[in-house]
Amino acid sequence: MKLLLIEDEPLLLDEMESYLAEQGYRCEKATTYKEGEEKITLYEYDVVVLDITLPGGNGLTLLELLKSQFKDAGVLIISAKDSLSDKVAGLGLGADDYITKPFHLEELNARINALMRRRSFSGNNRMKIDMLVIDTAAQEVHWKEHLISLTKKEYELLLYFIVNKNRVVSKQSIAEHLWGDHYDMADNYDTVYVHTMNLRKKIIAHSGTDYIKTVYGMGYKFMAP
Amino acid sequence: MKLLHRTTRDFLLATIVILLITGAGLYLFLQDEVTAEMNEQLALQAATVSRQLEEGNDAHYLFTEISKTTDPVRLNPVYGDTLLYDPIQKVTEDYHYLDIVQNIRGENYHIKVMTTYIGWDEYFKMIFTALLGTTLLLAVSSVLITYFTSRKIWKPFFMNLESIKNYSVSDKTALKLYASPIKEFSELEVTLKDMTERSQREYKALREFTENASHEIQTPLGIIQSKLDRISQLSVSEEMARHITQAKSGVDRLKKMNKNLLLLAKLDNNTFADKQMVWFDDVISQHLETMEELFSVKEVAVSTHILRTPVLSNPYLSEILVSNLVSNALRYTEEGGMINIMLTTDQFSVSNTGAELDFPAELLFDRFRKSTKNIQSTGLGLAIVQQICQLNSWKISYRYADQQHVFTVNF
Repeated sequence: MKLLLIEDEPLLLDEMESYLAEQGYRCEKATTYKEGEEKITLYEYDVVVLDITLPGGNGLTLLELLKSQFKDAGVLIISAKDSLSDKVAGLGLGADDYITKPFHLEELNARINALMRRRSFSGNNRMKIDMLVIDTAAQEVHWKEHLISLTKKEYELLLYFIVNKNRVVSKQSIAEHLWGDHYDMADNYDTVYVHTMNLRKKIIAHSGTDYIKTVYGMGYKFMAP
Repeated sequence: MKLLHRTTRDFLLATIVILLITGAGLYLFLQDEVTAEMNEQLALQAATVSRQLEEGNDAHYLFTEISKTTDPVRLNPVYGDTLLYDPIQKVTEDYHYLDIVQNIRGENYHIKVMTTYIGWDEYFKMIFTALLGTTLLLAVSSVLITYFTSRKIWKPFFMNLESIKNYSVSDKTALKLYASPIKEFSELEVTLKDMTERSQREYKALREFTENASHEIQTPLGIIQSKLDRISQLSVSEEMARHITQAKSGVDRLKKMNKNLLLLAKLDNNTFADKQMVWFDDVISQHLETMEELFSVKEVAVSTHILRTPVLSNPYLSEILVSNLVSNALRYTEEGGMINIMLTTDQFSVSNTGAELDFPAELLFDRFRKSTKNIQSTGLGLAIVQQICQLNSWKISYRYADQQHVFTVNF
């Protein structure tokens, strides 16, 4: 899986690259419009992560360029402007998803992952971790052949954990993923706790294994064997 | 008191005082002059009479009385007024007389000469009437002048005043002013034009500044957040973990604050002018579904009474409105409390049980106003709600009744 990250802020770019590389992606970076233009023209990527405000040009123009060359890459737009017009323009130009700064890297990773799943028409909609099998088409989770019955939110939570396995995921990040950032979640982190606990109990009941560890004060971590 | 009334009143008062003084002066002056003239005439007449008598002629003149007397000679004339009956006009008339006693040819004569005049009260009446007439004419003309000047000369002034009253620096259009040929007014017009244009420019710059500043803050915030997430991956001591968590919650608040400020700036800049038909009941249902777990964990019971209702609004803004009001209700409901959501075709209301506000209710929609009980909140949620309502010409109101906070939006 090959990614192109186009982002002008070097610190953020490094952070994105190092996390996505840990998740097994091959990443290339571009920090300017010119650099991005070159790489898009010369190489093929599975997903392009594209910042809108770039030195030397607008990310949306790069998107147009990409589409005009019939490149089969998924495009995820990053914008510091939480503006509807950018979003509409971006999606209208053929971008697949849109994320607003500042975001959690887990969220970015989950979006890229979902984008990959949507794009692989060949029906690779099963994820397997140890004996846990997740069917993303049916939104079902099995332990070996036993169905673990989860609520919609518990399913989303598990998927978020699995996509970001072996990483400490903060309560803030989970809350934003599950409920969006419309809600003032600061006093709703209890809800994250309750949901994680329920999920853990259900998985333990079937498998006898506690995959999700509490990291004191920080959040939770899905331990893949 | 209007300026015009004030100047008119002062002018009339001054006129009356001046006319009184003039009248009195005129009366005294005339009296003096006329008396002197009459006396002169009478003296001449008396001299003529005595010369005639001296020459031995008969002196028969009209209004002259000559009689022999034993009185001693008195050459100092005595003046006086008397009334005589006029048999033709059949009225008594005022007469002025001179009386002397003179020795002519060894005999003493009383010589009394008279002349008619119109009388001092007649003079007084005439002067008074003339001046009263003048005063009335002046009063009427100044009222008329005032009326027509206020209609003509002051018209641009009043029209400009009206447009200033209706003007706000947040208006998109420049202040519309009417030209006037009067120098003072045209100076005022130029000054006002300059001033409003300048404040409009500064206001615009300020608004853009807020929006730009919020944008610029996003990236560094992203860096801090991702770095904190990165540190969280390392194995750290419990103490360190506590510090990191606190730092994260600070970043979290800052993120939310910034997002809300950005939204407010955009609302101010009228970014969401496009409106379309939105099924408001769908918006509410979606939010309630997403928030279901948040209610249940807090054991808050939600009752709804929702009718199918279309409204005209920007879809994104109607979502924000619902989510802000509902999450506000959730935040201030105690555990085990109740939230009630109602939607009819002309009204949307959210009420929740909870203790009374610890600040005056009229400050509720102010920016950065929040209860001391909830320092985590940004204090911008309700300000945003109010702004959205204003934009859609909806009316938002708040009341506290039966231990319930009730927010009502009238479409």
